[in-house]
Amino acid sequence: MRILLAEDDPDLSRQLKQALADADYAVDHAPDGEEAHFLGDTEPYDAVILDLGLPKIDGVSVLERWRRDGKVTPVLILTARGAWSEKVAGFDAGADDYLTKPFHTEELLARLRALLRRSAGHAAATLSCGGVRLDPRAARASVNGEPLRLTSLEYRLLHYLMMHQGRVIGRTELVEHLYDQDFDRDSNTIEVFVGRLRKKIGPDRIETVRGLGYRLIALEGEAAGS
Amino acid sequence: MKWPALRSPSLAKRLVLLAAVWSLAVLVVTGVAQTALFYQEAITRIDDDLADVADGLYADSTVDDQGQVDAPPLTDSRATRPFSGNYWEIAEIGPDGKLHAQARSRSLWDSELSGPSDLIQTLAAGSSKRVYFNAMGPAKAPVRTLAMEGVLPGRSEPVIFMAAEDRSALEADLRRFAEETAAVLVLLGVGLVTGVFVQVRVGLQPLFALRREVAAVRTGQAERVSGAYPSELQPLAEELNALVAHDQEVVERQRTHVGNLAHALKTPLSVMLSEAERHAGPLSPLVTHQAQLMRDQVDHHLRRARAAARTQGLRERTPVEPVLDELAVTLERIFQGQAVEIDWRAPEDLVFPGERQDLLEIIGNVMENACKYGQGRVRVIAKTDRPGRMSITIGDNGPGLTAAEQGEVLKRGERLDESAPGSGLGLSIVDELVRAYGGSLRLGPSSLGGLEVVIDLPQADN
Repeated sequence: MRILLAEDDPDLSRQLKQALADADYAVDHAPDGEEAHFLGDTEPYDAVILDLGLPKIDGVSVLERWRRDGKVTPVLILTARGAWSEKVAGFDAGADDYLTKPFHTEELLARLRALLRRSAGHAAATLSCGGVRLDPRAARASVNGEPLRLTSLEYRLLHYLMMHQGRVIGRTELVEHLYDQDFDRDSNTIEVFVGRLRKKIGPDRIETVRGLGYRLIALEGEAAGS
Repeated sequence: MKWPALRSPSLAKRLVLLAAVWSLAVLVVTGVAQTALFYQEAITRIDDDLADVADGLYADSTVDDQGQVDAPPLTDSRATRPFSGNYWEIAEIGPDGKLHAQARSRSLWDSELSGPSDLIQTLAAGSSKRVYFNAMGPAKAPVRTLAMEGVLPGRSEPVIFMAAEDRSALEADLRRFAEETAAVLVLLGVGLVTGVFVQVRVGLQPLFALRREVAAVRTGQAERVSGAYPSELQPLAEELNALVAHDQEVVERQRTHVGNLAHALKTPLSVMLSEAERHAGPLSPLVTHQAQLMRDQVDHHLRRARAAARTQGLRERTPVEPVLDELAVTLERIFQGQAVEIDWRAPEDLVFPGERQDLLEIIGNVMENACKYGQGRVRVIAKTDRPGRMSITIGDNGPGLTAAEQGEVLKRGERLDESAPGSGLGLSIVDELVRAYGGSLRLGPSSLGGLEVVIDLPQADN
């Protein structure tokens, strides 16, 4: 496993390099944002440990550039800033996990292992419907290449609609597949989630068939998917 | 009005009062001058008449063989009726130095015209030989008198010709004129002061408007002073805006400084923690423990500083729905190892009257607890509670807290200032933030089986 460690503090870098090497990872070190971006752009890493407070280019910008260029390498963010607004911004930029300094090396290694496990087998068959793509193994979805930020309930709804795209699915059926327990099945639950999903993937992609239910469709001019 | 009142810092009062004092002075001077002029005019007319009479006497008087003065027959009939108001007299200076009437008008009857005691000397010394004076005439009526010294042919001693006219009509006229003038001037004064009052109120209107705007900025209803002001006030409004901007900049800079300091400490702490873990030794547990304490302290004071530096007021508006969406997505990502499922509901038009990062901090910490201690199910429901308030209910399906534990958490929340940093649930920072926004926290059992935290917060108007 090849890891890119982007961290500017020499002591912390030395420690982490040692700990990662002890755990049998091959580690490249980038002391600033410019080099981190260059390495991440050119070398095939399995995961990146990215400090947000990097000199030259800050971590969030580096991450945003990678994601814009279509890089899907899992990224674990290290930061001294633990406010929720900063965490949310990190995940917005495309981070896969987040660790606040100071941390235990053990925790970093555990999170890194989980990250690598989740991203294994990334090349699984993806579902697509027009510009919407969904990768069931990584539990990720995108619209026209832009990654979607979905909660698990929204993701589950989209997954079910994509599995049955083109077919009208009734509300009861959707509720049953959205919630595993008999719970919260009030009448407008589905409307709420369909509304949120429409906001995220585009309003015309989910069609309301009056009295029957909903149908996921490809937009005109888009090739219908698998 | 007393002096302290004048010194009181009311511009309107000062302006009106100054105008009133000034108007009063000008009007009094005007009134006095007017009356004096009127009197002068009337007296001059009377004096001219008296001069005519005296000149007539002088011109037509003759002296007989005994040296007696013979008065001419004057045609004015008024001088023949007793006490008619028009009098004349021809007098000579007696051996006793006093005037003795030689001839007098019929109107004088038996009385004589009198003059001031130094009349003879004045006549003797005066160059014009004419003296006008006010005196009491016959029948106790005030008269205007002219005395004129003249020398008649055939008589060596000079003769005094005197003419007098009743002044009482003039005095009455004068009084009436003074009263009328005073009335008109009082009316004018009231009008002037009223005018000044209106002018001040209207003229100072932009000042009152500016005060209202500044108050709005202070209470947070407005970001800056916005209105267009008269050219005298515009620079003040601009300076105020610059001051507000400077103030915000300073607060922001302090916030950044505190943040930078705290964050700069964290990387060395990480190094210490890792190093202590890697080299097990007698110092290792101590260093680990102390480094963790330091981390908690840094976090605690960082948050306190952020809370203290928060700008007062309700300038910010943060829609709740996107915040819940972002937190749900982020937390599910953070806890994806535990397969946490966050089910959240919020009306789209629910708006929190505060900063976005504060709302993120409040809900994020509580939701993180729910994810951490729950068993995979977290439910968040935000809704309008009652007018102007919203409630955010966060429940989980974890083991929950006993009533005693709930009380403990809340008690710790109440004594925030003494509370140790880094309480296990991280609720102290939530409680602090919620209180800063005039809200409250409530704990209870959730219908999901675990703990339910209800956050009560103000809601912004739509």
